[in-house]
Amino acid sequence: MEFNFSFQETWLHKTNPSLKFIIIVFLFICMLFVHNINFLINFMLGTLLLYLFFTGHPWKRLILISIPFLLIFLTSSTSMIFFGKGDTTWLKWGLVHITEESFIRGVHLGFRGIVFAALGIIFALTTRPVYLFYSLMQQLKLKPKYAYSFMAAFRLIPIMLEELLTLRYALKVRGVKNQRGVKGFYQKIKHYSIPMLAQSIRRAHRIAVAMEAKRFSVATNRTFYYQIGFTKYDLLFIFYFLALFGLSFATTAYFPYLPIEDVRYNG
Amino acid sequence: MTAITSVKDLRLKFPGVESLLFKDFSLSIEKGEKVLIVGPSGSGKSTLLQVLTGLIPNSVEIPMKADQISIPDSWGFLFQDPDTQFCMPYVDEELAFVLENLQVPQEKMKHYMIQYLTQVGLSFDDIHTNIQTLSGGMKQRLAIASVLALEPDVLFLDEPTAMLDPDGTQEVWETIKEIGEDKTLIIVEHKIEHIVDFVDRVIILGENGKIIADGTTQEIFKNYKTTLIEQGIWYPTVWEDYLKAINKPTPIVNSIKDGKPAVSLANFSGFRRREKKIDIKEQNFYPGEWITIVGKNGAGKSTLLHAMMNLIKTKGSYYIFNQDYRKIDSLTDYLTFVFQNPEFQFVTNSVYEEVAYTLRIEKWSEKRIDKRVEELLGIFNLTNVKQNHPYQLSMGQKRRLSVAAAIVKEQPILLLDEPTFGQDAKNTFTVLEQLENLRKLGTTIIMVTHDLQITEHFATRIIEVHNGKIVEDCCPSEYLYKSTDKLVNVN
Repeated sequence: MEFNFSFQETWLHKTNPSLKFIIIVFLFICMLFVHNINFLINFMLGTLLLYLFFTGHPWKRLILISIPFLLIFLTSSTSMIFFGKGDTTWLKWGLVHITEESFIRGVHLGFRGIVFAALGIIFALTTRPVYLFYSLMQQLKLKPKYAYSFMAAFRLIPIMLEELLTLRYALKVRGVKNQRGVKGFYQKIKHYSIPMLAQSIRRAHRIAVAMEAKRFSVATNRTFYYQIGFTKYDLLFIFYFLALFGLSFATTAYFPYLPIEDVRYNG
Repeated sequence: MTAITSVKDLRLKFPGVESLLFKDFSLSIEKGEKVLIVGPSGSGKSTLLQVLTGLIPNSVEIPMKADQISIPDSWGFLFQDPDTQFCMPYVDEELAFVLENLQVPQEKMKHYMIQYLTQVGLSFDDIHTNIQTLSGGMKQRLAIASVLALEPDVLFLDEPTAMLDPDGTQEVWETIKEIGEDKTLIIVEHKIEHIVDFVDRVIILGENGKIIADGTTQEIFKNYKTTLIEQGIWYPTVWEDYLKAINKPTPIVNSIKDGKPAVSLANFSGFRRREKKIDIKEQNFYPGEWITIVGKNGAGKSTLLHAMMNLIKTKGSYYIFNQDYRKIDSLTDYLTFVFQNPEFQFVTNSVYEEVAYTLRIEKWSEKRIDKRVEELLGIFNLTNVKQNHPYQLSMGQKRRLSVAAAIVKEQPILLLDEPTFGQDAKNTFTVLEQLENLRKLGTTIIMVTHDLQITEHFATRIIEVHNGKIVEDCCPSEYLYKSTDKLVNVN
């Protein structure tokens, strides 16, 4: 089985993976302390802009990936909308109690989910695992032992997917019927996991021996085929988010969409 | 001459196994020798190579002791499985991995990569090529290129072509011969026709790591033929000797003219990811026929079997004993399938249960099941391991079990996808004989294979698939005549 996963390279691909990683983790943490929905909306628009226009992936794929975004938005917002606290009641029906405050807070949570998802996907779509690990080894001094183990594992994923398909065929041919309920689920797990695990353990062992046969060792220094350093694109990346922060602040201060500064309930 | 690698009084034991694999084992190999080590599975051939390179015990922790052991200063190791030799996804990155280990400066890497790739006869427009897009033979040659980067004096080869088709095997051995001229080679292999003229020393290992014979190539093939046959080694004249021994007649089918077809296909096509991968205009398969499907990798051979088993999306007309396949509730009443890797087909925890599985689904009575299972275990020589877990069996036993489990219901049509792949000669002949017995009873056998010898001596009909279409359909002798004719014309 072959996967066509081609894309256009953009400046996001050229930023240093370690730097990108740190900044995105930092942004994740920052978002937890944002309680002003106006700011969050602006910030979300900024990240979606990156997602939609600068990852270099085709439209169809981007839209497909964004389906789970919506799911995150719906699940994280509805529970707060339905059950959150608030004073201005819009609708009350049994346990469900929708108020203006809870609605706004729910939407706020949903937007935050979208920002998290968008940032994570931007990182995943614009970073080749191989570059990430080379960069982690060079900039953050990750031990080669771990870096190469991960890279070897990545290589095995398509092989495993192919194996899964064969396994499915084989079980079908043997007449394995899907039983219902917990027992059926247990049976299914057993039928798939044991052969897959057996193959994977064997394969992992073989790769490890092959790597050592190629003189891979923990002790010695090594040179790097990909020298990953810093470029102007890293500055661009930092600048983009600084500017986004600034702009979001300014518009929040001067042109707020809603007259709310803190979505938390203080009643 | 000096020994380049040697071991004296080696004792080695796998954890959890009762007896020692090697007991006071000694071997010495001299510089420039081309040594072939053969032996049955479980004789410790691969283990021996790993000991001689120090991979055991440095990388693989297995308890061992030796009075004296000398490991060559520079060595390279080529493994069997093309998919588990690489840790990086792209050609250049994989070569870079070795160069990095050797601390080659980054600016010199490209130069070395091209040099090693040229040595193994590989050239790419862009060396940043995904390894998954290469054929098995190319992958193994890439593995040789990365081994060359180690600048080895001694090359250890552990069945490097066991997983390759005939074309791949040919190209890999040619490459090895070319680059190995001035090196010491230590080769473990059981398909040896390609290298017999190349090696100058042959060692036969017996069960439990004992050297049965050690001598020049001529000596061994002259004096130890029976040993080679017993151990299932694919020595060059194995087929001739086998055919002579059993006095096999050319297979004949009686039912074609009068009988009705078991399978009849018309304008039948199979799809993978909405792409038409196999397209059959018209084709009938009759009871008692043994049809082998041949063709290059990716031609659509397996796809045809998958389509007939209804594992993929299909279109067109497909009749099994005059019934439309769409109207048949369960195709597995008529067809059964044997996969290349037997392990995928195992769904239970013991050999006995494995064979009984299908019958239990059919709700046979316990008594009938027992009778049928014991009968099959007897035929396939598995009675003494019937309580074992399928994964504990040897390669040959696993294969026999997968065939036994597949045919337990006596389906009239048997599909097989390279069932003899990676098997030694003895196992291959056993499986073929059992299939032949089924065929004589009227089973239709449709089998994908790369092995033209099987085709010549067991098949009643040959179908060659090319680009998803049948390009040749004739009897084996005619086919072989035509293909040699083609070769002559090309040459």
